[in-house]
Formats: sequence, structure tokens, C-alpha cells
Amino acid sequence: MVSQAEKLLIDVGSTYFKVCTPTSIEQHFRDFNQDILDDLMSKCGDTISRFDKQDVHICSSANGGLSTLIIGITNSFSLKYATNIAFNSGINIIDTILFQNIEDYSVPSDLIDVVIVVGGVDSHSNLYSEKIFSYLDQLNYSNAVFVGSTQDSQSMRDNIENLVVLPNIIDDKLHIVEEHLKDYLTNLYQQDIEGKEEIKHLYEITSNQILSTPYVVNRALPHIETRVSVANPFILLDIGGATTDIHYSKDLVDENIVTENEYDRLVFKRLGVYKSRQSLILAAQSNEFVYELLLHLGVTENIYNEQTDKATKILMQLAIFLVLCKMSHYRQSYVNLRLLQINSIVLTGGITKVLSQDEVETIIAFFYRKILSSGHNPVAVMDSNYDIWTLGTKV
Amino acid sequence: MKVVTGVVGNDIHVVANRLIDLSLKARGYEVYNLGVNTHLEEFFDAVVETGAEVLMISSLNGEAEGWGREVKLLKSKYKNLDDVIMMIGGNLVVGSGNTEDIVARYRKYGFDLVCHQIDLNTGLDMLQSTIEERFPS
Amino acid sequence: MSLLQEEREIILSNEYVDSFDFAEVSEFVSNASKDLFISHHFAKREKMLVQPRGGFPTYQQQYALYEYFVDANVDVLPLTIDSNTRLNDYATAKKMLRLSEENDMDMLNGYPLVTHGYRTTRKMITHFDKPVSLRHGTPDARLLIETAIASGIFEIEGGPITYLLPYSKNFPLDKAFLYWKYVERVCANYSELNEPINRESFGPLTATLVPPSITIVIQLLEMLLSLEEGVKSFSVSFAQQGSMNQDIVTGAVLKKMAKHYAEEIDCGDAAINLVYHQWMGAFPTNQDFADQLINLSTVIASMVGADKIITKTRQEATGIPTKEANAKTVADTQYCLRILNGLPSVVDEEEEEMLTLQVKAIMEAVFNDPADTLWRKVFNSIKNGVIDVPFSPHIINQNEMITIRDAGKNIRIIERGNVPIPDRCYEYEKSQCDLSKDTTSIVNDIIHDIGIMQW
Repeated sequence: MVSQAEKLLIDVGSTYFKVCTPTSIEQHFRDFNQDILDDLMSKCGDTISRFDKQDVHICSSANGGLSTLIIGITNSFSLKYATNIAFNSGINIIDTILFQNIEDYSVPSDLIDVVIVVGGVDSHSNLYSEKIFSYLDQLNYSNAVFVGSTQDSQSMRDNIENLVVLPNIIDDKLHIVEEHLKDYLTNLYQQDIEGKEEIKHLYEITSNQILSTPYVVNRALPHIETRVSVANPFILLDIGGATTDIHYSKDLVDENIVTENEYDRLVFKRLGVYKSRQSLILAAQSNEFVYELLLHLGVTENIYNEQTDKATKILMQLAIFLVLCKMSHYRQSYVNLRLLQINSIVLTGGITKVLSQDEVETIIAFFYRKILSSGHNPVAVMDSNYDIWTLGTKV
Repeated sequence: MKVVTGVVGNDIHVVANRLIDLSLKARGYEVYNLGVNTHLEEFFDAVVETGAEVLMISSLNGEAEGWGREVKLLKSKYKNLDDVIMMIGGNLVVGSGNTEDIVARYRKYGFDLVCHQIDLNTGLDMLQSTIEERFPS
Repeated sequence: MSLLQEEREIILSNEYVDSFDFAEVSEFVSNASKDLFISHHFAKREKMLVQPRGGFPTYQQQYALYEYFVDANVDVLPLTIDSNTRLNDYATAKKMLRLSEENDMDMLNGYPLVTHGYRTTRKMITHFDKPVSLRHGTPDARLLIETAIASGIFEIEGGPITYLLPYSKNFPLDKAFLYWKYVERVCANYSELNEPINRESFGPLTATLVPPSITIVIQLLEMLLSLEEGVKSFSVSFAQQGSMNQDIVTGAVLKKMAKHYAEEIDCGDAAINLVYHQWMGAFPTNQDFADQLINLSTVIASMVGADKIITKTRQEATGIPTKEANAKTVADTQYCLRILNGLPSVVDEEEEEMLTLQVKAIMEAVFNDPADTLWRKVFNSIKNGVIDVPFSPHIINQNEMITIRDAGKNIRIIERGNVPIPDRCYEYEKSQCDLSKDTTSIVNDIIHDIGIMQW
């Protein structure tokens, strides 16, 4: 393990920066009227200038992360594998299309950062017809990558402009092959940054690749015991302004995926307390237990209309509850976790500055009692210094 | 000729599965073995990903009765699986039963070849004949 | 508080555990009778220890089982855990225990140790004052072994590879390594208080045509993963393979290599024991034949020079044995051991050399993996097929290796896959077999080889 003695770590978030030296960690709210680099230098210039460019490591979730559309031919293999790799590369928004039904999907109007086309083992071919090309013609996207059967790569190349072709993510035992697509997506993040005026100036203070924060947090997890007291299996919740990230121990799911990761990650894109406040409220209103939960917390539904600190707190607590629901059988979602096996729930991100440990544990206890009818109670762990991410920056 | 094979549900009968795998390979098939504890949807998805002509499901302990009825419904959700040869083998009932009735029942569930308590080599011979009929060369 | 202790507090604050008193447990272990420690009996080396398997749902049934065993002169008592507890489903275990007690019917296939708790179980263990061995098959055994040691059970069987690859399809192997490290550390810590807690790897694996080199490599690796955490007493094991000569060779190489590799990591002071399992494959339904098989096993165990033998019963083909049948085998085996005198020493130098070369080559490949910790080297080796366990249901296992029996019923490797056995050894293995047959015949041979003891 590389000694951190000479390294400076910086995390640029959507609300604040975190700057970490071997001896200290500081947080500053961002000033959105300034350029990111100027803002950073004005608040921490002294600290930053002490370090050489090669010893400065930066990660960022500030520009919202990449969005992707995955087109695959089955749920159990092509879509599942590509989604798993994309989430673990730090991608934030993932939509999927099952190719046989492509005519039923509307074409999204937003710009997609990368389209991933996947499907078929190498010994199979002709998985895709004209329909995919006409769909893509209508789509607004920046990059496209093909990770399906090698036999189809030529026809894909002939019909999709600037297509990047990588080795299949499905091998001939129908197992996942993650390296190539994962590297590509991680590097794409870097390239994407280079196109973003704001962030690319950060390369003036670092000579290292800027990584996406969720990717870095995921890499930190095997070392988490050096910062907080947890017992595996655990989950980590990062409830942000726009999205909620969950990292979970792989023995909490029943999946046939063998990768280097000990923890997988996924994102709920409409659960956030600032930018996604409205969709969070809508989700809360459609959950039949929330009424009782609000009562338990001593408030009424009027809280949705308030803009106070108290309202933000309540929303954060609701977000925790809703996220847990999404990962249980109660609401069939992308993943079902063995919630009764969880020993610790770690919270990181802005939420640790707002909620106390008790306030979090109240929600967890309520969830387990009401939804799972269980007395199980994982310990809540607050990453109050918000420094778990620093463990993942070791190169 | 490609075959997707595996054992459904909670059977931990890995030895039978591996023997089927080896026997199929010995007969020249390209085998995609999903192993034990495989769900019905995974079988169909594997056929789609591999272009397999044959789907061979093993079931022991009569456990297949639990999901036999779902086969047609699930298969109908796939647009390109109509031609796949559906085969099921093993011990298809709990306790004992009349073989003719069992075969008839599983054929109604959508299986072309039903091998209840039939020796592995005999079963594979049956598959061979079916393939020769379907794909005369 | 150390990291380990913090983790222990969380694990033991589980809602199915009745407050765990760390200080009291440590005191109990410190003052526990030496006879409860199998490591103490191993050190005396007076005879081959005889140990059956067995676990019943209720306390009364388990107690009765132990009474039968003690009457049959057993050396080591077993505590076999039920399958719900093995999957950490304590809720179901609790429900099934209650049903078993109320309806006088066995709703569990073993003893739900966590549900009974350590205070209750300890009463029984200390009453009989014999060493007890924990038999299970749990990937995440942290809570289970805490309860076991607190109950007075001072031998823990299992390991991250041996308890996962034969049984699980997709439990993440890297998590298993992590959870078993906890087990090793807890055992090592308790070992400082009194006699050492013994750890035993589960050698039989899938018990289906597993070649000795694979068995031995996995035993050695689990041993090293344990010793490097400070465990001071470890048992390597293997099951009867079908050929007496091969078993003797396997035992000899396993003993020698275990000592060698333990010394390589400066753990030469740890006590290494050899355990032999009576036939773990398919049993004959004819119970008299089953008795013959069991006796044969005992003879071979003696030829191998095992320190402990784990017995089967004549009812193996039909299901869970009665306490009577189980105790009968114990008595039979003890008798057999008493009358086995003047055993010749058999050494097959050529086979030993071949097997040793295979083991060393695979071990070297594992150590050469670029990962920085031993467990990750092993993880990568399994993932790459450098270690390949025939008939493992786990998705990480490569399943490229093919093995069959030669004319002497020795298990031979006819297809090595990615397992790096030296070419010379590979040719030797293949040369022992008749490979002129077509592949379908070879597959038929495999089917027959698996049922070798049934007729």
C-alpha cells in the first residue's frame, strides 16, 4: 500500500469540496459564482501549493456523472452484466432497452453520454437487425461502444459512426468479463471532463487522472475498517442532492457474477434531497408506510411544503426509508438485498452533517419492524468526517 | 449444434449436471452449462445469447412439477424461441408415477422430449434422432 | 478496542443471541478441563481418535446421542449443525426447533447451536468432558464459532475453500476468505488462554473423483491461511479415495508437505495432525456391505497413519442414521483399531515423487500470483483454473479438469485444464489409463467410477 505521507486528495462534490492532507481534512461549501479551480484555490490555495502535481489526486461527482443507454438482448446476461459494469465504473444514469422490444421504447430527448450495445456470445451472430440502427439514428448521443459478439462487430462498425469496439463482456461460459468495458467507461469519464470547461482546469493542479467519486468510494470499501467500525456484510448509502448511491456487500445478493469487486454499486436517480426533492416527495407520498413514519417522526405531511432545515432533515430521513424499501421485496427493483443479513449501514455524504446517529437509527428500526416484521437492527455508522472516499484514492 | 443445459431450482445435483455436460461434449455438441440452481428465465436467456438449438433442463426430485406450468407463459414473452428443441430429463415426479401420464403432462407444458427416469445415453440418443429429423443433412 | 473486537461486538449483538459475556467466556476457556481440548489429546498421540458425525434438533436428543457415543467408547464427539443455521437463517432455525420440540418430529437436520445458545449447550459439553468437534458447512461462520467456543467446543472444522466450493453456487469467495480470517483470529486469540483451539480443514471437498494433488494443495493453503493468523494446532484431512495405495501415498505427501510449508512461513511450532474420512461417496444400500466398507476404511486409515478417523454408518445410503447405528460404527471401529497389529509400512516412492512434484508445481503457481495477500492469490488461482475442483457447483470453479480411475482404482488426471502439473507428471497420469477408448466410453467409465463402492 502506497504511503499517504506526501499525497493531497481532493473531492469535488455537487455542494462542497473536501480537501485531505495526511494530517487534516477540510470541507468548504462551493461558491457557484466562481470557476471551480478559482474557488478551490481561494479557499485552500496554501494547502494545495505545498504539493507537486503528481501527488495530487482528485475525484469528482460535480458534473453529475455520465449517463448511459444500454441496448442488450436478455435481462439475465447482456443487460445485467453491462449494467453491473456501468454502475461500478461510476456511471450515474442508466437506462436499458431489451432489443426484441426496441420498437416499444420512446427515444429519449436528453443527450446520452454513451450508448452501450451488448449481446451474444462470440460463437453467435446476427443478433441485431436494422431496427437498432434506425433507433440510434434518432438518438442524441456522444459516444457508442459495442461489447457483443465479435462476429457482429464489423456490421456494427459499418452502420454506427465512430463506434468503439471492445471484446465481448460475455465469455463462452456465459460469465462476465469486466475489464475492457470498465476501463473504457472509467477513461470516458476523464475524457468527458476534458470537454467540460469548468472541471478541466483542475488538471492544472494534478497530473493524475480525475476519477468519478462513486468509483473511488467503491474502491475504498475493502479498507473501510481503518476509518469506521463496521461488520460485513454492510451497505453504504450516499444520499446526495440529486441521486442516492448504494454500495453493497456482494454476499447480500444472489448473483452469478464473479468480479474483482467485493462491493457492487447502484444508483437511484430520482432520490435526492435538493435537485430531486420533488420526485423524492412524490415517491414518499406513494408509499403507504410514510404516513405512519411521519407520525413517528412527529410531523405531518405539511412538512413537504416547508423549506426549513427541519424539512430537509425529514426528507433525508424519508430518503433513507425509501431507499431501504427499494432494496427489499416490498418494492421490486433492480436489486433485492438480504436485508436481514446486514450488520452495519454506513452513511456518507452531506447527510452526515445534517442527521445524528439516533435520527438515522430511528428510521432503520422503523423499516425493519414495519416492512420486514423483524427485530433485526443493523448498526448505523456515520462517516461524519466524510473521509471514507480517501481510502479509495490509493493508486 | 449448441445445447444450453443446467439444473433448475434448488437441486444441488451437480454430479448429474457435470456428467450430462461431459456426455454432450463427447457427442460433439457445443455445451453452455448454466450449472445448478438455475432459474427458468436464465435458461431462455441463455438460448437467446448463444443461439442454441437445444435447451436441455435437468430436474431431479420431482421438483419440476413446481414450475412446469410456467414454461409456456414465460417462453411466449420471447420473440425468437419458437424453434428451440425443448428437452427435460431426470426424475420428474415426487414418489412414483405412470410414465405415459408424466410424458404427456410435460409435453403439454411445452417440452418436445421428455425423459423420465431414462438412462443418460438413451436420452441423448433420443435427442440425436430428434435433431436428425429437425435438421436433415 | 481492536478492530477485531469491534467487529465481534457487532456480530454478537445479533437479535438471536442472548447477551454474550466476553469476559466470562474467556474465563471459562482459561479454566476449561484439558480433556475438552482435542489438541491436548492429539499431543498425547496415544491412539487414532475415533469421531462420528451427528446432530439432532433438541437438547435432549443430542444429549442422548452423546450418551450412546460415550458408551461406545468414542474419543471425540461431534456437533453437526443444521442447514438453516449454516445459511445464517436463525429465524427459521428457531421456528423449526420449536416445531421439533412440540411435535416430537425432526424438523431440522442438525443441532441449531445459535438458537440453543452457549449457556445451555455448555452444560452438556462439560458434563461429558470429551473433546467436541464442530461440523457444519457455513460460508459465514463468525457467530457460529463464537457460540461454539463459548459452549466448550474447541475444534472448528471448515475453511473458505473447503466449505464453499463443494456446496455453494455463488456465495462470493472473497467474502468467505474474509469471514474465515475472523474465525482464525478468534481461534488464535482463545488459544493463548489454555490449550490450543484446533482448526480442521475439510479435505473430502466434493468427494467425487478429486485428484490427490488438488486435495493436498487446498489443504495446505487453508492450513497456511490459518497458521498465518496465529492458529497453533491444525488438522489437514482427506477422504478415502478408493485405492489403498493411493491413500497411503496421499497421506505421506500431505504430512510431509504440510510440515514443509508450515516451516516456510515460520510456523513450524504449530501442531499439524492428519485426519482421515471413511468413504464419502455413494454407499451400498446393502447394510452388511456398508459395514465391510467401513471396516476397510479403518484398515486403510491405519495404514495411512492418521491421527483421527471420522466414521460413517451402515445406514448412510438411506439418510440420517439412528443413534444406535451411529454408535455401532464407533464401537466397530474401535474394535478394528484394537486388533490391527503388525501393519507393514508401505512406501511407494515413485507415486510419492510424482504427487509431490504436482503439489509443488501448483503451490508455486499460486504463490507466483501477483496479488499481495495469500488469500487473494488463492482466489485468483481458483478463478483462473490453476486450482480446479471436479464437480464443484460454484461459478468460480473452471470445471476443465477431468479425472477417471485406472485399473488399480487410483484417481488419475486425464485432462488437466489450467492446473499447472508438470508435463512429466501429466504424461505419467495419462499413461496409467486406457485412453484408447472413445470419449463416450470414457464418460461411461466416469459414471461407473463414481459409484465404485455401491456394488
